[in-house]
Amino acid sequence: MEILRVENLDFTYPDSKTKVIDDISFSVNEGEFIVVMGESGCGKTTLLKCLKKEIAPHGEKSGNIIFSGKNIEEMEQRESAASIGYVLQRPELQIVTDKVYHEMAFGLENLGLSVEEMRLKVGEMASYFGLDKVYRSDTDTLSGGQKQLLNLASIMVMSPKLLLLDEPTSQLDPIAASEFIATLQKINRELGTTIIIVEHRLEELFSVADKVMVMDSGKLLMNNAPKTVATKLKGHKMFAAAPTAVRIYQSLDVNCECPINVREGRNFLQTHFGGEKIRKSSIGNVRENIIENEKQGEKDVKSELELQICENKANTKKETSIKPGAKLVLQDIWFRYEKHTPDVLRGVNLTINEGEIFAILGGNGSGKTTTLNVALGLLNPYKGKVIINGKPIGKYKSAKLYKNNLSVLPQDPQTLFTEKTVELDLMQAIDISGEAVKKVHKEVEKEVEKTEIATTKLSQVQINKISQQLGIKHLLQKHPYDLSGGEQQKVALAKILLRNPKVILLDEPTKGIDSCAKEELSSIIKELSKSGITVVMVTHDVEFCAITADRCGLFFDGNIMSVTTPTKFFNVNNFYTTAASRMSRDIFDGCVTVNDVVNACVNNLQ
Amino acid sequence: MKSTKQKQIIKILIYILIPVVIVAGATAFGTKKYAFLSIVVMLLACVPFFVSFEKKNAKVERMLALAVLTAISILGRYIFGFIPHFKPITAMVIITGIYMGGEMGFLCGALSAVVSNFIFGQGPWTTFQMFAWGFTGLMAGVFAKQLKENKPALLLYACLAGLSYSLMLDVWSTIWAEGEFNIKRYVGYIITSIPTTLTYIVSNIMFLLILTRPIGEKLDRIRKKYGI
Amino acid sequence: MKVFENYHPIVLFIYFISVLVIAMFETNPVILGLTLLGGVLFALLLVEKKRFVKDLVMILPFMLLVALTNPLFSHNGVTPLFFLNGNAVTLEAILYGIDIAAMIMAVIYWFKCYQEVFGSDKFLYLFGKIIPKVALVISMTLRFIPLLRRQYKKIADAQKCLGMYEDKSIIDKAKVVMKNVSILITWSLENSVDTSMSMKARGYGIKGRTNYHNFKIHKMDKILLIITLLMDVTVFTGMITGNTTFWFYPEITAIKTTLLAFTSYLAHAVLSFTPFIIELKENLKWKYYVWKI
Repeated sequence: MEILRVENLDFTYPDSKTKVIDDISFSVNEGEFIVVMGESGCGKTTLLKCLKKEIAPHGEKSGNIIFSGKNIEEMEQRESAASIGYVLQRPELQIVTDKVYHEMAFGLENLGLSVEEMRLKVGEMASYFGLDKVYRSDTDTLSGGQKQLLNLASIMVMSPKLLLLDEPTSQLDPIAASEFIATLQKINRELGTTIIIVEHRLEELFSVADKVMVMDSGKLLMNNAPKTVATKLKGHKMFAAAPTAVRIYQSLDVNCECPINVREGRNFLQTHFGGEKIRKSSIGNVRENIIENEKQGEKDVKSELELQICENKANTKKETSIKPGAKLVLQDIWFRYEKHTPDVLRGVNLTINEGEIFAILGGNGSGKTTTLNVALGLLNPYKGKVIINGKPIGKYKSAKLYKNNLSVLPQDPQTLFTEKTVELDLMQAIDISGEAVKKVHKEVEKEVEKTEIATTKLSQVQINKISQQLGIKHLLQKHPYDLSGGEQQKVALAKILLRNPKVILLDEPTKGIDSCAKEELSSIIKELSKSGITVVMVTHDVEFCAITADRCGLFFDGNIMSVTTPTKFFNVNNFYTTAASRMSRDIFDGCVTVNDVVNACVNNLQ
Repeated sequence: MKSTKQKQIIKILIYILIPVVIVAGATAFGTKKYAFLSIVVMLLACVPFFVSFEKKNAKVERMLALAVLTAISILGRYIFGFIPHFKPITAMVIITGIYMGGEMGFLCGALSAVVSNFIFGQGPWTTFQMFAWGFTGLMAGVFAKQLKENKPALLLYACLAGLSYSLMLDVWSTIWAEGEFNIKRYVGYIITSIPTTLTYIVSNIMFLLILTRPIGEKLDRIRKKYGI
Repeated sequence: MKVFENYHPIVLFIYFISVLVIAMFETNPVILGLTLLGGVLFALLLVEKKRFVKDLVMILPFMLLVALTNPLFSHNGVTPLFFLNGNAVTLEAILYGIDIAAMIMAVIYWFKCYQEVFGSDKFLYLFGKIIPKVALVISMTLRFIPLLRRQYKKIADAQKCLGMYEDKSIIDKAKVVMKNVSILITWSLENSVDTSMSMKARGYGIKGRTNYHNFKIHKMDKILLIITLLMDVTVFTGMITGNTTFWFYPEITAIKTTLLAFTSYLAHAVLSFTPFIIELKENLKWKYYVWKI
């Protein structure tokens, strides 16, 4: 039965000429699970908001939205609020009240239910979502994942027929995100609730969804079963966001049904490429060398591959060769937050070299963020030494540590913004007497004749340079808060880079950004490392780590374990590893990225 | 129509009720019981503002702005913890009054008192703080135009606000310790509280000088954006 | 372990109001003494021992000051003890000072107990009925405080690591902090859009909003309510009939020993010690169970 029908929907924001939603029509049946994908700014969030009368954006709208046979404009307030639920991106900000039970009852209070009715519903939902133990707690004491579950639960108490979710897992760690998606699946299956979800993380969602909608600049490009969409995606920008199995399949030109998850992907690899397992041990090293070669600008991967395979044994020592000039050294760091709490860091030892990209992986609360804060001098270890640029951290006088030396890109880029426009904000970061400005000064002097150059001009030159490098030139006049997550990330990075750091620490750099922005970020980081900047990142994102890092280490039990190259690292791990690695395990060795698997397959076919 | 009429009636009732309570209390329980009476009077004085906020069809954004500003004014105590006696509540309340109107100023002040005492301990003084801060915000709203445009006026107001807050709470301390209002004791309290009053004044001036403009711009942007 | 907090908020509120109003209205030393003792004993059970001692050390000197300075400001009374700068220091004034100090201390202790027993959820339940919107704003404020506190820390760290500000003097520090506060305000105002959407999406603003709560009236609530009201009536009868009236000025009245006066004192003792007894009983019971295991 049809529950939602959208007919020729158009939408334009005020003060804008381009249509954000351009003639979209589709129909949704009751009980369907629909995933909407598209680049940020393609109009998917606007579409979702248009479906919910209460929060529909202001602007010029035409077309019809019919919910259960009724135009949503004509729906009664109470019915509309209760039957369509909406979950937003950031779990923290959707919570309205201070107590868990009150939050869950908030919607029912608005509907005017009696206390007895509410008690029954709230109690029921609290147990269904496993929130019964925190029923009387303060909402603020919940973890991020629990908060998002609470948001979901406080909508589910109103027994909605249609659930709209706008990137609900983008701020969660992978474990909490999987849990959240599993809960959605459960709701869909057990309660028959129709779900429309906009999401970047599609690895799991493809096999959960009944239909996938692909949007591109306001238009609905595809609206089909996941497998159909998967086969059609090649060549589109959103291909990068597709699950690993789909990307591998599409790169291989094999005639069979498209796999959409790890299990199907394994079957696919086994039937078409498994069996002989020729040359299997060589692949890992091949990859490293390919990266090396890419850096040198060599294009002919295939011939290079064969070459590398012959001499693979000779090239295995890459990670043991430490470049001279360690930039960041942690020596036997011990740390605890309070006198009587257990140690968070237990003798951490770490040496990071100049120009290296180092990733620290690890679960929630393992101490990786604490390590970052210790390295930044924000927390003082009770034992051990932090050496930045050859100088112990204590020897730096307050702000000197962060001048032309050490910088951090925080998890929340908004914490860096101070001004009304991006340009003013960047301007503010420029240290007029700083090294970077002097450098630019020299460059400008070379180009222009020796005249007095005003400092504003200098700043302009610098901002131009950095905004070109990061591709944010078109954003300079906007308010920082009006940008998308990925754009904010880049602006924040630009601000940091204007401080001319030698070592950059990144705290969860991929949180809340889409796959295209991730790819961009990865190449930016590689560029930085080429120009001699040392990058240390703390992340949950194994896929990102696999394509970006030179070395990585797992944080566990207060210490960094198994520091090695991503290839080796992810090969050893069984669960904490990339989808590509899980898929190709025991079929090919040493494959951790899509390209690895594809190369291995191509190689195997010959 | 009906609601405005109701509002008027409630307002009138309140202002009749206050003197009635004073007279009744004074005659029934003897003149010594100012402490209790003053609490009731302070509370009653806040009621019209609460009632009118209830009656108004307040926008969600307005309620959120109020909650955010109140939360920040309370957090100030923790944020500026490194300077003794530095409490930015008064300054935040003044800014709220100037840019969001007298009613919001009053509510921000009164609610700051209630909520901060959830943390630091409720007591009979809560009602005095409610009224003192609320009144500061209300007056800031009344003189919003002058305070926005005229820096000396703003500084003068900052001084007055610090002074009046201090004087008001000294009234409370006097009644509290005496059972009635003793002018000698009041003067004594004023003298002993000079250093604290001075910190209030200095901190108000500093805070308002630096932050009125930037916070005001933000509040204006929000007000325009959501039509609060 | 707290048991008294399990009572219904309305009953608790009436109880605390009764005790506090009587404490503030009465000058009778017997009644004040009972109130003070009841409050202190109750606080002893509720508050952590270390904090209790710390509080007492802070409060006692202050009370002593109130008691001793009273004769300096008040020269009423008919029994001068000695003269100070030509002013009489009377016995009445000294005693009245002590009486007032006891009253203040009693109120402070009862408020301490209130703080321990009467959580914000009870407060919001009570006022949510009378002023629902204000109560919701308070609840939202309570939700924002920890959120913004964490966000402030993040902002302060991020700004510190930009290395643009010196923080040598207290003025520098204050400037940096003000800048951070300004960032925090932008952050919270801009992002409260999400909160407002979450409220609207759940139908906030529809007429006929109700209030949810977790409280139920039990038998024990009814009993406590009846005890409280009965004792209130008795004490007030004693007050109004003049049986417990007490004056310090100009001359100290004698404490009356009529039947009604005694009944009043007894009633007030019951009122003041009820929470202490309830709490003590449960504590002992608990200890007994533990001991039996």
